[in-house]
Amino acid sequence: MNKFDNQATDALLERKLITDNQYQEIKVYRSLNIFSLNAELKFFLYLSVLLFTSGIGVLIYNNIDTIGHIAILSILLIVIGVCFYFCFKNSKGFQKTEVTFEHPVLEYLVLAASILTCIFIGYLQFQYKPFGTHYGLATLIPTLVSFFCAYYFDNKSVLTIAITGLAAYVGLSVTPQDLLNNNNFYSDQSLSYSAIMLGVLLVLWTIYSSRIQLKTHFNLIFLTFALHIISIASISNLINDYYGIWMIFALILVGSSYYFFKVSHDLKAISLYVFMIVYAYIGFNIFLFRVFEHIDLGDVWMLLVISLPAYFIGSIILFIKLIKTFNKEIAA
Amino acid sequence: MIVYDKRLLDNLALVEEAKSLQFGGFISKEQKDFIKKELPAFKRQSNILVRLGFFLLGAFLYLSICGVISLFGLSGESLFFDICCYIFAIAGFAGAEFLAHQNYYEHGLDDAFILGAILNVGFAIAITTEGYELIIAVFVAVASFILYRRYLHLLALVVFCLAASAVLFYGLFEFGSIGKAILPFVAMLVSAGFYFFTKKIMSNLKESYYYKGLLIANSFCLILFYLSCNYLVVRELSAMLLGNEVLPGKDIPFAIFFHAFTLVVPVLYLVQAIKTKDRIMLWISFLAIGFSIYTIRFYYSVLPIEVALTIGGLVLFAIAHFSIKKLKDKETGLTFKPDRINNSNTLLNTEALIVASTFGLKPEVKTESPMDFGGGGFSGGGSKGSF
Repeated sequence: MNKFDNQATDALLERKLITDNQYQEIKVYRSLNIFSLNAELKFFLYLSVLLFTSGIGVLIYNNIDTIGHIAILSILLIVIGVCFYFCFKNSKGFQKTEVTFEHPVLEYLVLAASILTCIFIGYLQFQYKPFGTHYGLATLIPTLVSFFCAYYFDNKSVLTIAITGLAAYVGLSVTPQDLLNNNNFYSDQSLSYSAIMLGVLLVLWTIYSSRIQLKTHFNLIFLTFALHIISIASISNLINDYYGIWMIFALILVGSSYYFFKVSHDLKAISLYVFMIVYAYIGFNIFLFRVFEHIDLGDVWMLLVISLPAYFIGSIILFIKLIKTFNKEIAA
Repeated sequence: MIVYDKRLLDNLALVEEAKSLQFGGFISKEQKDFIKKELPAFKRQSNILVRLGFFLLGAFLYLSICGVISLFGLSGESLFFDICCYIFAIAGFAGAEFLAHQNYYEHGLDDAFILGAILNVGFAIAITTEGYELIIAVFVAVASFILYRRYLHLLALVVFCLAASAVLFYGLFEFGSIGKAILPFVAMLVSAGFYFFTKKIMSNLKESYYYKGLLIANSFCLILFYLSCNYLVVRELSAMLLGNEVLPGKDIPFAIFFHAFTLVVPVLYLVQAIKTKDRIMLWISFLAIGFSIYTIRFYYSVLPIEVALTIGGLVLFAIAHFSIKKLKDKETGLTFKPDRINNSNTLLNTEALIVASTFGLKPEVKTESPMDFGGGGFSGGGSKGSF
């Protein structure tokens, strides 16, 4: 307990910014001396699921030739079954709006069950190849299961697994670290097109689901993925030298930035807004660079270096303005 | 010493308090907005993403200013290379001072200039002394402490803590092998001393401005205390610094003490944290317990890693489940009910991100292998450290 919090409350009362009643209420609550372990214990649950599932994953991988396959599969199946049994028993059934379990443990059981299902299907495919050489199908089925769990049990973590699965189906790796390393798009030109298609698809899905009021709180996650996929795909293609293709991607980036500018206002989501600005700014700088590329800078480069601070000061002022107006508009 | 208007600092504390009261449902949103409008405030970014963005922009600006300075300097003599970092550092101080007078506080731009100034002080001294670590550490410590006192910049204080411990270490190295041998004990005693010292200042503190900084220094002492005599750290450091290879069947001197220390201190932290309801200490104790387990596993691997992970997951699940069961219906004191005023929910919001990065499905190029999912094991363990 921080004594300065109490002082601040006293000062608020002194300045007549809070009423006497409110002050008393706060005093009573503080005297309960609550020390909540809510976040910590939930985090432990979550960590335990991560540890357990990764342990099982490695265990299966290492012992793939020694333990009987049937034994592994049946143990996995039993664990999955137990997890799902508890989840279904305690779930309130499918609802279009946001629902939470009464007991927080169940949320993490759903997560464990979905990850284990992915492992199960992966193992099945590795060993028995039920899908033959249709590797896409082997990714699609865990994805569908995850989507079902995410929507049925209303679980955001599972939803992210499902979206990465969907992206994997079209041949993309969109885990955060891969997006940052950004090695998808250099190797394969056509991947960029499918990435942008996927992003558009995700956006269309959010529009559709907000129209039918289906789990609208998921929209932010879909849009976050869409923003990053589209922007990174088009930015990495801005450096493309193949004819004038980069012009097309510049246009796509402009279009997506405009869309996300609007949508971040609608959702009041500052994370979308900030990332949109960052991507647009990077894109704009690459654009400037490509324009300057064709001009011979032989003698004027000193001038350019001197004007750089002014350029950055200009952008800082612009960004401060942008953030200010955004904060004002979402507060209104 | 503080450059900012004291009234604005007081207002900041009041607005923060109003924010947490509104979050707890004690006052209405209109009331909070009114309080916010009533009190003049700093130019400050509370959103971490926005602040990071401005930090990057500020860093670009700082770099480009340094670029312009070097442009003029290059036409001069080779003397410029010797003093360029001093000039850059002065530019950093000037920028920080200017921003502070414009009432920028915790905004991101000021972070860039303050940290840049400290970095350049380090470089400048390194160039002048040709890389003499002790002197560099002393100057960095002094510079960062001044910056903290003047701008109340918490990151500068973290740099100060690190630099001050570096001064201690390099200072002991000056005494040759005796200094290196007593390093763990000295570090332990010094951190314990400073822990109680900062604690004492905190309890007698009249002004709220320094509270956060003292809290950080206090927590830093706790971490340093644990690490100073951790068995893994001591053994690896002694091998590195003194060249003492531990032969099979033998152990480092005072091994029993270090073993006991590694086991007892985390538990002590945990008990003390729950007793005094100290959340930061609680988190440090969790991390310390994790590191102690890692230490034990590092030397005595009883179980293969995957079995340890699986069993660890089950044990942790059981602990969390039973603690929740026990605390669920308590209304006062230690409880599972979310605190209305101080809660650490931001942690839970990052969950989805961690799941995506550890368990995201990857496209299959040739074969589907379960390793793609299991591979998360290592990063899963690592994610703990990032909090």
